[in-house]
Amino acid sequence: MASLSQTASFPRPRGARLMSHAGVWVTSREAFWIAVEALRAHKLRSFLTLLGVVIATTTLIVVMSIINGMNLYIADHIANLGANVFIVHQWKWAQGYEAWLKAQRRNKPIRIEEFEFLKENLQAYKSIGADASTWSDNNTARYQGHTLYDVDISGDTPSMIDIGQQKVESGRYITDSDYSHESMVCFLGRDLVDAFFPNVDPLGKEILVRGIPFRVIGFAQKIGTTFGQSQDNFIQIPLTTLRKFFSPRPSLAVSVQAWDARQMLVLEDEVRALLRARRHVPYSEDDTFGVNASETIMDTWHQVTGAIFAVTIGIVAVFMVVGGIVIMNIMLASVTERTHEIGIRKSLGARRRDILTQFVIESSMLACIGGGIGVLLALIISKIVDHFFTSTVPLSAVLAGLFLSTAVGLFFGIYPASKASKLDPIEALRTEN
Amino acid sequence: MATPVASSAMRETPPPRDGVIIKTEDLWKTYDMGAAIQVHALSGVSFEIERGEYVAIMGPSGSGKSTLMNLIGCLDTPTRGIYWLNARLVSELSDDELAYIRNKEIGFVFQTFNLLSRASALHNVELPLIYSGMPATERLEKAEDALRKVDLTDRMHHKPNELSGGQRQRVAVARALVNNPSIILADEPTGNLDSATGEEIMALFERLHQSGNTIVLVTHEHDIAAHAHRIIHVRDGRIERDERVE
Repeated sequence: MASLSQTASFPRPRGARLMSHAGVWVTSREAFWIAVEALRAHKLRSFLTLLGVVIATTTLIVVMSIINGMNLYIADHIANLGANVFIVHQWKWAQGYEAWLKAQRRNKPIRIEEFEFLKENLQAYKSIGADASTWSDNNTARYQGHTLYDVDISGDTPSMIDIGQQKVESGRYITDSDYSHESMVCFLGRDLVDAFFPNVDPLGKEILVRGIPFRVIGFAQKIGTTFGQSQDNFIQIPLTTLRKFFSPRPSLAVSVQAWDARQMLVLEDEVRALLRARRHVPYSEDDTFGVNASETIMDTWHQVTGAIFAVTIGIVAVFMVVGGIVIMNIMLASVTERTHEIGIRKSLGARRRDILTQFVIESSMLACIGGGIGVLLALIISKIVDHFFTSTVPLSAVLAGLFLSTAVGLFFGIYPASKASKLDPIEALRTEN
Repeated sequence: MATPVASSAMRETPPPRDGVIIKTEDLWKTYDMGAAIQVHALSGVSFEIERGEYVAIMGPSGSGKSTLMNLIGCLDTPTRGIYWLNARLVSELSDDELAYIRNKEIGFVFQTFNLLSRASALHNVELPLIYSGMPATERLEKAEDALRKVDLTDRMHHKPNELSGGQRQRVAVARALVNNPSIILADEPTGNLDSATGEEIMALFERLHQSGNTIVLVTHEHDIAAHAHRIIHVRDGRIERDERVE
């Protein structure tokens, strides 16, 4: 007797699986070529279709590249205090505006006595030194009628040659003897050597620093520029000499160098404890000084880039959504154009999910190609920007861009694909192209 | 000749006897045109077709032969009635199940060929196998075999617009054969061909019939229907006459 068992013995079609793996691979390949062909056939339409996705991807990658380039630049040029070096100063650098206002009222400069105190009491550091800059309208250097203005004049301890950026090119640095004798000696940055002594050996010569004669004992290797500012426009004299002639109570930046990164953290804590104790800062109150390490600078920098990035994400999201909607509309038109073809496929045994998969893959491919174009554009733009500024394309940005575009294509392709899959095969076959 | 069976008793109908590939009992197809008006495209059609037969379904336009073809080809389900195909009760299947049946049991040949214009002949023939989930090497082998049966291997990689009408229809026939269907269902296969090419195609069908395929031809032309060995005449949604011809 016929019964439900007749239909029950009906073998389940490959129900649960979307399509066999063979099917998805072939469909993807097919979909890719269909998408490429569609793009080639209607170039203007394609350009407009992909514009949103291309702009979004390009923006994303270019911004990420610029930020990446700046991160590297900042890490190299600004946050680079030296290996395992932190700097104790009156101010904490790169802090928020409000924090800075508060600090203005509370923080006191680091004095020479405090430097000596730290030097005595800090444990097991590799090196400790101090420098003080003098700020004045009159930071001039003169030699034989040639005057340089706005030179960076600083007083340094002898140990600064080991800790700081400057390296001896010729001659020698400030010695302990210079320091204790308040000697009138100076160590020059490359810019001054190039300006005053282009063809002559500067060693032993006398130059006028703020009108006062100093003997040149050595000069530094060229450092370079940061954000266009030359780092070689300096004169360094013994700190004690600076105190004697230019700045009776100088504000110091104390540089402490640790043996390794871990010890650096330990030393930072120690310095804070020692200084707070010496200055009698109550437990509940903030430091009246700043301990600055690369991380603090990078952290603040990351806050800035974080804000920039957040805005970028907003822009990218808008373009992606717009681009996605455009793709959706194009796919709807495509489905209408290909109704007959869908009918053929269904008559040959394509199930709803087969048609759905096909069109979803097509729209994903389309968007992915848009993402690819965006990547290429971004690479070109990044190269150009790098020429003038700085920009390095990180792989993560490229992958993010491609992934995002494909996802947009997939998501916005679902509705048209769903419509396609629901077409009645008989009606569809009747439709003429 | 079969007694009409009410649909509520459907589950108790016996399956067709061995060798009967198509059996329909009291097929109705009704369309609601709104305001309680119903149009009956088919009004109680019952017949049997045995494996290996060559049958033509003939009738003027409006006779319901296209509707009947859509039902036989599982493109649609009847409003009422029973349809056994290859010992499976297919009259009440879901869309997905119908798709499966179309893929495995039916080989369509259309008047307008219905090939994918952007794909090669080989890929067109491959298509049903892709939807079956067959892996690539097997697929290509079978597709080439099918094209060999219709003498078109030298044109495998051509696109439809590079083929003549007769060649396109032969590709369609190869596609219809490729998954070893129970029946080949041809809807006015020579309608878009000149008479000489049309004869070639009818000769091809004759060859396929000799090889053991079951062929169902739907047409309004008597000359074409005469190639079959049996003609079912359809008029006004009913079977008018069922004659054997040789």
